[in-house]
Amino acid sequence: MSVSSYVTAGSVDDVLAALAGGARPVAGGTDLVVGARSGKSSLPESLVAIHRVAELRGVRVSADGLRLGALASHEAICENEEIQARYSALADACTIVGSHATRAQGTIGGNLMNASPAMETGGPLICLGATVTLRSAAGERTIGLADLFTGPGKTVAEPGELLISVDVPAPAAGTGSAYLRLEYRRQMEIAVVGASALVTVDGGKVTDARIAMTALAPTIRHVPEAEAALIGSDGGPAAIEAAGEAVAAASSPISDVRGSAGYRRAMAAVIAGRAIEQALARARA
Amino acid sequence: MTAVEEPRAAAFVRPDGKEKVTGAGRYTADLNLTGQLVAKFRYADHTHARILRIDTARARALPGVLAVVTHEDVPDVLYGGMVKDRRLFAKEKVRFEGDIVAGVAATTAEIAECAAALIEVDYEPLPAITDFEASMGEGSALVHDDWESYEADDALLRDGNRLGYSTIVKGDAAAAMASADVVVKSRFVTDPVQGVPIEPRAVIAQWQGDKVTVWTSTQVPYAARGGIAHTLQIPESNVRVIVPLLGGGFGAKCDFHFEGHVAALARAARRPVKLVFSRREEFFAVGHRREGMVIELETGARADGTLLARRGRLVLDKGAYCGEGGFFAQMAAMHALGPYKIETADIESSLNYSTNQPSSSIRAPTAPQVCWALEQHMDELAEALGMDPIDLRRHTLIEEGTVTATGQKLERIAMKETLEKAVELIGYGQELPEDEAIGVAVGWWPCFAASSGAYVKLNGDGSGTIITGAQENGTGAVMAMPKFVAEELGMQPEDFSILYQDTDAAPSDMGSCGSQTTFNSGRAVIAAAVDLREQLLDAASDKLEAARDDLELVGGAVRVKGSPEKTVTIADLAGSGTFHGKGSGEPPEGPPAEPAEGCVGRLGLESFHAPQLIAHAARVRVDRATGVVRVLQVAAAHDCGRILNRLGADGQVYGGVVMGIGQALSEGTQLDAEGRHRNAHLTDYKLVTASDAPQIDVAWIETDTPGAGPKGSKGVGEPPCVPTAGAIANAIAKVIGSRVRSLPMTPERVWDASP
Repeated sequence: MSVSSYVTAGSVDDVLAALAGGARPVAGGTDLVVGARSGKSSLPESLVAIHRVAELRGVRVSADGLRLGALASHEAICENEEIQARYSALADACTIVGSHATRAQGTIGGNLMNASPAMETGGPLICLGATVTLRSAAGERTIGLADLFTGPGKTVAEPGELLISVDVPAPAAGTGSAYLRLEYRRQMEIAVVGASALVTVDGGKVTDARIAMTALAPTIRHVPEAEAALIGSDGGPAAIEAAGEAVAAASSPISDVRGSAGYRRAMAAVIAGRAIEQALARARA
Repeated sequence: MTAVEEPRAAAFVRPDGKEKVTGAGRYTADLNLTGQLVAKFRYADHTHARILRIDTARARALPGVLAVVTHEDVPDVLYGGMVKDRRLFAKEKVRFEGDIVAGVAATTAEIAECAAALIEVDYEPLPAITDFEASMGEGSALVHDDWESYEADDALLRDGNRLGYSTIVKGDAAAAMASADVVVKSRFVTDPVQGVPIEPRAVIAQWQGDKVTVWTSTQVPYAARGGIAHTLQIPESNVRVIVPLLGGGFGAKCDFHFEGHVAALARAARRPVKLVFSRREEFFAVGHRREGMVIELETGARADGTLLARRGRLVLDKGAYCGEGGFFAQMAAMHALGPYKIETADIESSLNYSTNQPSSSIRAPTAPQVCWALEQHMDELAEALGMDPIDLRRHTLIEEGTVTATGQKLERIAMKETLEKAVELIGYGQELPEDEAIGVAVGWWPCFAASSGAYVKLNGDGSGTIITGAQENGTGAVMAMPKFVAEELGMQPEDFSILYQDTDAAPSDMGSCGSQTTFNSGRAVIAAAVDLREQLLDAASDKLEAARDDLELVGGAVRVKGSPEKTVTIADLAGSGTFHGKGSGEPPEGPPAEPAEGCVGRLGLESFHAPQLIAHAARVRVDRATGVVRVLQVAAAHDCGRILNRLGADGQVYGGVVMGIGQALSEGTQLDAEGRHRNAHLTDYKLVTASDAPQIDVAWIETDTPGAGPKGSKGVGEPPCVPTAGAIANAIAKVIGSRVRSLPMTPERVWDASP
């Protein structure tokens, strides 16, 4: 199958009209084109290019929080000093997505809507409490990111819906976050195991915690048992270990060319523990 | 013996570098001919099956399809290296995932792909024979049912699925083993590995009358020409092979591959036809990868470390077809001896057919795997002896005067000196963090003497052109030839262009394989330059009215020694006649070897011609909790004879070390139960990236080895691949306190091996 229709949209309305007609959106193309080349999924018959739509651009940080347009590139996100400082887990993730080329070309909207259980940005944004705004010709809705994913490559979005933006509330004072993944090499990696941690510390106690796991379940999801192990604790080695073990226990990894389920489960505890340590260090800094 | 510390002359930068890094260079896939069609293959639908029926009617009927070719459309001939066991298009059986049943030529890639899928093939599926160790057992089903009828080299022992069988026997190893103070036994297993050139292969064929011109990304244009002529049963003189810029090969583009298929399609379609492989095809369809192995070693030593006996049992996965890898059993056996003094030996090595992808030469074939196993085995022996592994090697490595287990007497080699230099460069014995360690490994690799020929002609403007049959595969070996010619003629390297990639232009050449380009083609080019120099001296002698012996070539001119005013420029001479030198040079004689009693499967590798000696030391960091290994530093010391182009030689070591790191830690093809690739793409076949490359320190120990190539050179291309994985393995073992016995040593395997 080859693409028989390709239009470049100038506005969100143009995009929504094309989507209503059955087109698929393309921005960076880093998943779509690579997937087609590798035979994973053929190119759709009809494409609408959204890269020129001004409304979908932008990285805006305010006192209330962070707003990312769907077209915000990984590079634009990880280069932003305010994101590095206050939304560190997201910056960590965007720094290590794919290669230099992928980061320059790939967008946050594409990364989220591709809904890979191994995606980098999903875990950090779930921990940060992000919401996403979806719009179709019929209207607009805002949902929690954790509710977006339903399975590998699957979301709750209807065929005519476009992800417009991602909103992240400003973290409370005393909060630190981190994203880590198991890396076989230093570049061009895909997560075999990943973990995100967000912790808020007050007077030596962990008052809030959000832990999410990557590539360990059919979707990115947070792990309440791990969070419970941390909240109210001193954030010391015993609590971190218990939280890491909770992540391993909650995981349902697969065996594939990248690693066995047993190895992934063992690494879930290690990587989650390290992510929590780093988040704590940032919270205390 | 001298150690080269600094480049001897100003760095010589290869002339093809700029066009390659700027993207201006034109590779085969960049070429397009008028009326050109696109080729696609229909691959086997089973890894092992009998073909019952092939019906191409629906594919032929598809608009835009101009040719569909199966075994019925080409001569019924078998091709291959030491065994002729393969057809262009499968006939009775398919024997691996990438076997080609049919080819299609169509106006677009989409139509060609669609047509390939429309070909109906009925099969009787047969059980896959993926276990290459079991495939040599009694009663195993045969990959080639009637292969006794195939044409094959007499030295091969053909027995069941065993294509090659080689032994090295010296003395009574069993008795010596029984008398040893310490005996160590080890078993290792390796996964298959790919060459992974960044340029996937491409072939274009165009017929004019009964002559065909083929542009192809091959390392061996003359072998490609021979393959086309043989499979299509046409005279070799009707075939011209041209190689545009080649985007890497690493051995994977040695041998005749797809040129015959594309030429057959172009003939049937009466149009030029172009084949460009996808990355996936470049993995699974290429009959050319580094083989998986099972390696069992046993060594008995005296308490002082003296090696009394070595027993070895090696099993190599040949895959479905012989290709040019028929010599692997003996090559592997030689690496199971390694560069050591051993009093008795009993090595047996089997190269077995399976229904896996065929294996053939990838950069130093068989050596990295066997060296990785042997060097770990030697460290295990050192531990059992309570000796430092470096001291054990100091005591047991070959040196000048050693007679090897196969009876080869070694002269003027610097094996031990490379060890000392590598150990010094890495700072062996230094205090290290508890998660770091240094490992050392040594290895060897032979030179291959072969005939070659070249021309050097002078152009009217005083510039020159070198015409060589050598092929450039990215090593820069051909690119360095202007340097050698310029040195003979007192000119500058920039004065010479190179015509090197056209079988109609230059004398036949072995191609870019066996680290032989400088060794053989370089020798021929220098001989041609010397011939040209004599012609220039004759002409200048007349012109300057001076005796020939009083003349010298300096600075682009011929002048009378001691009288710089009596001079004639080469440019002036060039206009006065037709100057062209030709040469081949004499291939150096191989070393004499006393045939060891009881050895079978002798294919000429029982002595190593002018061996290249290698010692690598690696410092690694192991994350014990995850098994992730980072290589921090590699020190590489080589005796590759005289170094003619330091920049180029260093480049080979950098590349070889990085390739070796990939083979050590992350590169391995995973096969399913049917022998199909599970990771035929760059996401999950993990090459080492620039970010992973460590500090690499290079030292050259120069020797004047008998049998060396031009100006005392030996090969440099393959050796850097040999001991890198072994050095890394020994470092890992020091950190985790146990051995990783599977290659690649992935994080999961390191983690599994950790106590």
